[in-house]
Amino acid sequence: MGNNFDNEVALNREIRAEKEFNLKDFFFQWEWLLLLIFIAIHIMNAQLSPYYLNTYTLLDATMTFLDKAFIALSMTFVIIFGDIDISVGSTVALSSVIMAVLYNAGLSMPLAIGVCLLVGITAGFINGILIVKFKELSAVIITLSTMILYRGIAYIILEDQASGGFPMWFNFLGWGYIKTLIPFILIVFVVAAVIFYLLLHKTTFGRKVYAIGNNDVASLFSGVKVDKMKIIVFTLNGFMAALAALFLTSKMGSTRPNIASGYELDVIAMVVLGGVSTSGGKGKMIGVLLSIFIIGFLRYGLGLVNVPSQVILIIIGALLIFSVMVSNLLYGNKSD
Amino acid sequence: MSKYILELKNITKTFPGVKALDNVNFQLKAGEIHALMGENGAGKSTFIKVITGVHQPNGGEIYLNGEKINIKNPNDSKDLGIAAIYQHATSYPHLSVTENIFMGHEKIDSSTKRILWEDMHKAAEKHLQELGAEFDPRRRMSTLSVAQQQIVEIAKAISTNAEIIIMDEPTASLTKTESEDLYRITEKLQKIGTSIIFISHRFEDMYRLADRVTVLRDSQYIGTWGVNEVSNKDLIKAMVGREINQLFPKTEKEIGQEIMRVENLNRKGFFKDISFSLKEGEILAITGLVGAGRTELCESLFGLAEYDSGKIYFENQEVKINEVRDAMKLGIGYLPEDRQEQGLILDWELDKNITLTALDKISKNGWINRKKEKSIAKKLAEKVNVKARSIFDLAKQLSGGNQQKVVVAKLLTSDLKVIILDEPTKGVDVGAKSQIFEIMSDLAAQGYAIIMVSSEMPEVLGMGDRILVMRNGEITAKMNVEEADQEKILEAAMKEKK
Amino acid sequence: MSEKSSENKMSLERIQQIREFSLIGFIVILSIFVQFRNSNFLTMSNIDDLLTNTAILSILAVGMMMVIITRGIDLSIGANLALSGMLTSMLVARYPGLHPIAALLLGTLIGLISGSIIGLLVAKFKILPIIATLGMMNVFRGVTFLISGGKWVSAYQMSDSFKAISTGSIFGINNLILIAVIIYIVFYYFINYTRTGRKIYAVGSSPDSAKVSGIDVTKITWMVYSIMGSLAGLSGVLWVSKFASAQSNTAAGYELNVIAACVIGGISIAGGEGKVTGLISGVLLYGILENALPMINVSPFWQNAIQGAVILIAVIVSALIKRRIGSSNKIRRED
Repeated sequence: MGNNFDNEVALNREIRAEKEFNLKDFFFQWEWLLLLIFIAIHIMNAQLSPYYLNTYTLLDATMTFLDKAFIALSMTFVIIFGDIDISVGSTVALSSVIMAVLYNAGLSMPLAIGVCLLVGITAGFINGILIVKFKELSAVIITLSTMILYRGIAYIILEDQASGGFPMWFNFLGWGYIKTLIPFILIVFVVAAVIFYLLLHKTTFGRKVYAIGNNDVASLFSGVKVDKMKIIVFTLNGFMAALAALFLTSKMGSTRPNIASGYELDVIAMVVLGGVSTSGGKGKMIGVLLSIFIIGFLRYGLGLVNVPSQVILIIIGALLIFSVMVSNLLYGNKSD
Repeated sequence: MSKYILELKNITKTFPGVKALDNVNFQLKAGEIHALMGENGAGKSTFIKVITGVHQPNGGEIYLNGEKINIKNPNDSKDLGIAAIYQHATSYPHLSVTENIFMGHEKIDSSTKRILWEDMHKAAEKHLQELGAEFDPRRRMSTLSVAQQQIVEIAKAISTNAEIIIMDEPTASLTKTESEDLYRITEKLQKIGTSIIFISHRFEDMYRLADRVTVLRDSQYIGTWGVNEVSNKDLIKAMVGREINQLFPKTEKEIGQEIMRVENLNRKGFFKDISFSLKEGEILAITGLVGAGRTELCESLFGLAEYDSGKIYFENQEVKINEVRDAMKLGIGYLPEDRQEQGLILDWELDKNITLTALDKISKNGWINRKKEKSIAKKLAEKVNVKARSIFDLAKQLSGGNQQKVVVAKLLTSDLKVIILDEPTKGVDVGAKSQIFEIMSDLAAQGYAIIMVSSEMPEVLGMGDRILVMRNGEITAKMNVEEADQEKILEAAMKEKK
Repeated sequence: MSEKSSENKMSLERIQQIREFSLIGFIVILSIFVQFRNSNFLTMSNIDDLLTNTAILSILAVGMMMVIITRGIDLSIGANLALSGMLTSMLVARYPGLHPIAALLLGTLIGLISGSIIGLLVAKFKILPIIATLGMMNVFRGVTFLISGGKWVSAYQMSDSFKAISTGSIFGINNLILIAVIIYIVFYYFINYTRTGRKIYAVGSSPDSAKVSGIDVTKITWMVYSIMGSLAGLSGVLWVSKFASAQSNTAAGYELNVIAACVIGGISIAGGEGKVTGLISGVLLYGILENALPMINVSPFWQNAIQGAVILIAVIVSALIKRRIGSSNKIRRED
């Protein structure tokens, strides 16, 4: 029984299973727009500085922004759920501070790094558990409180001190090159990006993430373990924040409790500009990757001509709002 | 003075890509109860929203008492004395009953514009009493039952001195007694001169209340008849566009061996001491009043909510069902009550929808095999006879009946043995209803065991092989369909267990 | 049936009351405990201090309450406050003769404009409040930095009459407290006794119902963020007057204190409910915590963590209470 449908001839009518190529659909994609912006940014930057367009500069530039880009990879999953995690900046701070303090208290650096990652995982796991156990509270309010809490713990540990003095080899994470040309962080990022791309688009895991983001009740009825998926994704987000903490701390050489403040804005902006809808269920990794480099190079280019960081904040903030606005106008909004 | 209090002529309403109303005509006599019928998607809801000003028509005219009017927004219709009670209660759950009644037209002090709460509470109490309801208007809306909430909605309509009241499927989630109360209230309204448009799927409602009936089909006006002049069969034909000979198609089938047995299943606060057995090819109908614990029982059988104690045997082996995966692995499928919300991802293509229940089958170590996915999806979509161009059509582009079939296709991805259907015909129109029953009979004939939860007496008697009646979380009667009749079931559903 | 229902209502209202009473009880116990540790706590001058320091928080909380009732949130108010405080104080520095009332109105106006931009984004363009306000928070901060050139406006640049806005008093009551009290009276009346005020609850309780019953949801949402902005603008003037300095990072993160006070005060993050009386106890508790912790020698570095924990506990406890009500309702229905 069960599969005896297979033996039955019940083909009343044929349903096509080959996709037609549709030129309009192909070009009506957010990613093309991003590609144009990406090119435009490089043209702009090249105008601003004659030294911009060469391999060294371009590769070096990636070192300035790739740390937070790690979080954007996992944040993509969170936002596809229709959730949000604004505690990532604080998670970076907490895991970085604990690592530094433990190292200075005598723990070996590899172990301290392990603890750093563990702290990130724990922080993300706590977010996930709370979100799953208290569904009536939104991820906004839960990660808002853990955002304050995690950074608060970092302040309790280190007060207004800085902590550093890491071994020389640790600097390699943030400053190292492979074959004196390609930044180490870029290589790690490319590997991570490939993994996250495959995870989202080619595996059942990614499929379930989209399913939950579209309709969590239907997913549950279809046998998707919604709670477990959410916990995994939020934990992953915490882990990626800790990974970012490693690179950032290495780059800075020391850490403070106020490190990575405001990271959530950049990370969310990267994801949202990448075409991931804040109402959930939609978005592609390619878009997020493009937008990571758009925002990164934009920041770098503006930095080249000494635009103050506060002004860059205005631009990022405006970009975030603008991209949501445009995507709402283009693709409509669930709430309407 | 016109013969009609409300008249709509050649109303057309288009949404991007869809014609929701196509030259629709409608006439409402003063003081009549006028039933509006049609299948889901026939355009009834849009029609109502045009009258209440939520939507503006693209063409056509509306006359009130013979005068041409223009309804630009819900406030206009309110001022003209038109009120609507929508299908999904449009209440404010956090606010008091009084406030729900008077929202937007609160009683205020004429000079200071201050809201006069005490006056409002008194007036609300009066309106409720007129409708025979005796609950405190200071209560929060969310603490009321669905039926009580509906009474509040009606009180709201009265409080605006509405001359025309539109009721959009008010009986859909009411029990028998509650529906009776509603009929009484509706007739009371008619007596004081209110004209009523009553939308419903239930023929019962129409015969009991309406003077005339108008049918819409596929966004078009089909006709208007006096309720006493039109036969049931003609009405169904008008609604569906074809004749339906047999609503409950029972096919020849063999009832096989026991597949599942439940012993003394308990879930605190919901059901207790549930025991029954289920055989291959059998349709087991579970009935009882709403809130008797039937849905909760099915949830536990499908692993959506854990049971506290008791045993479940599957093919004579004791099993534990803790989560949905467990049930699916055994071969238990669940057709949820709300197909659109619980069964489908409307923004997704058919193939992805169908394979969501079978991700293990289309993947290896977590990697999706698209080719395999497409072929499985295609095979199943054709098997349940979905009318679609390709498996890349979006679920939301399909008609309700076809969506229904996709949900069934999803179940068939696994080696099913038992299918649980929760209120399979709730909110479903006649046409789709007969389709569902056909699918059910088909499945049973192929040897699937089916558990059907239903409150509708005719389908319990028409489709079930055996019948379980539940009351207050307990089984009060078990019977074979041959020995069952309406009275026996009702008695068991209502009786106090000593 | 009706008997059971009235029982039901009793329990609901009782739980609401229990909530407020236990909050007040907690305030009393906390005060006694602190008093025991530091006898300066319950002195007139400290209480006056406490209330003065809580006044700005409480003003902002009224606006935030309305935003949260409509299911929104506003993370930009700290930045909004800084912007209007900076602009106003720069103007005061240039035109020392500016009347204090004019300064207050000016700040409110700047806040109103900022708030209405956010309202526009949320209500018209349907951008999630969290995204819109996170984005605008950074825009406001950046603009504040730009117009000030990164420089402070300090005490010596401010006229005495300007500083007197927050130090002065009428009938022995500090102006800040007085302004807060007036605002509470006005808004208590507004949200309980005017049609527009009730529409805020309607929109938050069920936006769909509001739409079909003819309430202009867009307008109400827009209004709520505009009011929030105006109050933030007003607070900006009060803040720079009180601390006699305006910086581009003034009140950074202060939105979190305000949200915390609202959450403690029983304003439901899911929208639709929240009362002024509850808000007052929430604000008071928060103010006392802030005042008392340093007095019993809790390190200021603990402040953040305590704040985060308090918000988390408050939302979780209120969620648990609601579940209790929900399940008791459900059991009754099953009877």
